[in-house]
Amino acid sequence: MSLVADRMNRILPSQTIAITQKARQLKAEGKDIISLSAGEPDFDTPDFIKQAAIDAIVRGETKYTDVAGTQAVRQAAADRLNEDFGLDYRKEEICVSTGGKQVIYNAMTASLNAGDEVVIPAPAWVSYPDIVRLADGVPVIVQTRPENGFRLTAEQLRAAITERTKWFILCSPCNPTGAAYSEEQLKALTDVLLDYPDIWILTDDIYAKLIYDGRVSKTIVQVEPKLRERTVTMNGVSKAYAMTGWRIGFSAAPEAFTKQLIKLQGQSTSNPCSIAQAAACAALSGPQDCISEMVAVYQKRRDLVVSRLSGIAGLECNKPEGAFYVFVSIKNLIGKQTQKGKTLTSCEDFVTSLLEETGVAAVQGAAFLTPGYFRISYATSTELLEEACVRIKSFCESLK
Amino acid sequence: MFRPATRVSSLPSPATIAMAARARDLKSEGKPVISLALGQPDFASPEEALEGAIAEVKAGHTGYPPIPGQKSLLEAIAHKFKRDNGLDVSLSQLMVANGGKQIIFDAFMASIEEGDEVIVPSPYWVSYPLIVQMFGGHPVEVPCREEDKFRLKAEALAKAITPKTRWVVLNFPNNPTGAILEQSDLEELAEVLRKAPHVMIMSDEIYEHLTFSGKQHVSLAKIAPDLADRILTVNGVSKAYAMTGWRVGFACGPEALIKAMIKVQGNISSGICTLAQGGARAVLTGSLESVHAMRRVYEERRDRVVGFLRTIPEISCAVPDGAFYVFPGFAALMGKKSASGRVLKNDVDLAEALLEEQYLATVPGSAFGRGPHLRLSFAASDAELTEACERLKRFVSGCL
Repeated sequence: MSLVADRMNRILPSQTIAITQKARQLKAEGKDIISLSAGEPDFDTPDFIKQAAIDAIVRGETKYTDVAGTQAVRQAAADRLNEDFGLDYRKEEICVSTGGKQVIYNAMTASLNAGDEVVIPAPAWVSYPDIVRLADGVPVIVQTRPENGFRLTAEQLRAAITERTKWFILCSPCNPTGAAYSEEQLKALTDVLLDYPDIWILTDDIYAKLIYDGRVSKTIVQVEPKLRERTVTMNGVSKAYAMTGWRIGFSAAPEAFTKQLIKLQGQSTSNPCSIAQAAACAALSGPQDCISEMVAVYQKRRDLVVSRLSGIAGLECNKPEGAFYVFVSIKNLIGKQTQKGKTLTSCEDFVTSLLEETGVAAVQGAAFLTPGYFRISYATSTELLEEACVRIKSFCESLK
Repeated sequence: MFRPATRVSSLPSPATIAMAARARDLKSEGKPVISLALGQPDFASPEEALEGAIAEVKAGHTGYPPIPGQKSLLEAIAHKFKRDNGLDVSLSQLMVANGGKQIIFDAFMASIEEGDEVIVPSPYWVSYPLIVQMFGGHPVEVPCREEDKFRLKAEALAKAITPKTRWVVLNFPNNPTGAILEQSDLEELAEVLRKAPHVMIMSDEIYEHLTFSGKQHVSLAKIAPDLADRILTVNGVSKAYAMTGWRVGFACGPEALIKAMIKVQGNISSGICTLAQGGARAVLTGSLESVHAMRRVYEERRDRVVGFLRTIPEISCAVPDGAFYVFPGFAALMGKKSASGRVLKNDVDLAEALLEEQYLATVPGSAFGRGPHLRLSFAASDAELTEACERLKRFVSGCL
């Protein structure tokens, strides 16, 4: 009898583990490594949020809370959605979870029966298809095109839908491309979805606050309120408030479905850390200037990185509208040889050689279901970004 | 029409939740409700935990933690297993989860196939069978008898094992009965398990530090090191250190299983809140003084409550050797009527009547697979416990 269950084989081996381990090993050997591979802000959590956590500890908020979170944090999440998107959710429709990932896990596990399909635009965060498969579902990957700004078109969405389609997952701004959908672009998708009343929508809005050039993020239910009854709106404090390690995400969904999510969470983890809930509550209901300060910095870094990379022969990249990633095409470099004599046959080869020969750690596009690219995060200091761009440039220009 | 997945829609909404809601309502109406229903210590978390967490926040350790847990916490856990249980474990045999509950969920999700049997001695904590069922497994109940002090007997275990048995769950000290297993009990069980090499053993030792009358908890993995490669020892800081809200559970087990569990957790919720890890590390590397102090208080309370219950002839009451629960039987009241005329057909009726008529909240034993019992927690103040006993006595003497 095999120790592990068959369902475990449905999770694809991690594409990033090899490169992450290599980077760690090189760093341990004392090599000068610049890591642009992490998916998290380099900022520290703002002080007023940390203080709220300390206050909660001192007040003794260290007991079990309701599985779905305290009344206060659920209300704060509902209020935040109202202020940011004009959404109207009651706290009974909110479930607070251990990170945004658990929201996705809950939604898929509570709903998918064997063979149900989930439409996922790619490039995408690989956890979506893994979670779908673990819940016996079938991910249906639709490749968006760079010429469309990596945005899914209405035609593509319609073509991907079958009678087994149960969910459509959308992430805007998107990890890894930074593509953000405007109101019109969302409307084009929601018009299609109105034609298919059995399809539910999961909108991953975790990067919603990180959007540039004066844009404002929109979300599905805001653009098409008729979809409210079959949409799960996911958000959290990780990216906007630099709180990845606190592990607080939340869902807003119709109460009947929220009850199912809570039931599941009651068996898998129960409530997220009570102190982290108090901190999240402060973040969501406190002053929001900390976000605009971080956004201003991210925007400058984005401009820097995009302008540097655009000047490198062989690389192509869009200017991302949001998040803190650039997704760069290396299609023109496939088949070339590095100075150390390695032939680049894939994006894995590219990031491996880039790391080994220049010390810059990036993530290959294949890890986001779209080969031929690499992703770098600009959630790091300007100095490091400049240096990394210099190294990427000399690496690319030295290819033969 | 949207169909939720059977695995979740079939999870029951426990009677305990309805009862907890009713207790809350009565309380908000100003009724003098005493709750002995909760499964958590009434003490505050130790100073060390608070300081450890605050230090973690102040140090700015607020980024993504590794999925298995911070290395420093894993080291603290290895130290704990050595100090408290005499187990030598390497870091690759350890992991941390969002509460002991998630350890159990991770383990069953990583290993259970459709049709696998999992032996769950009863009375049991209800999450074991529910999680097993979520993954298509069949819980197989093995009753522990009140006259055996609710200890699991080797013959009963032997009879329940079949070729399809995947896991045996041992939860001693036990929730809800407070039963423990002493060295001789464990040796007999180990003999049975040696003859069933296909069976994994989950030893949930979350209440290990709470044992009374000089009795000591012993880990199965210590008694039977030859079985260690199929024992998952589950523990956490919730009960021993009064840290339920922090959500830090952990386990040691065979590396292959731990690896699969980490993979599962990477798709459910990832790592756990960093400041909670800081708090847990601080208590696990600190002294056991606060634990012993709490244990002594629990023992005094147990003596008082059991002494009182034993003066009521209608109640049977095994003396709990551990945890912080008593699990008295009320067979003599079944079929009778309460003072307000409620017919007591079963323990749910009994618990409801106690709540409505005496404002005493308890949990019906059938929630743990054994009626007509009630679970009373003695993690409450002396004044509350005395008053609760008086009310129980008044209730019983009012029954006709």
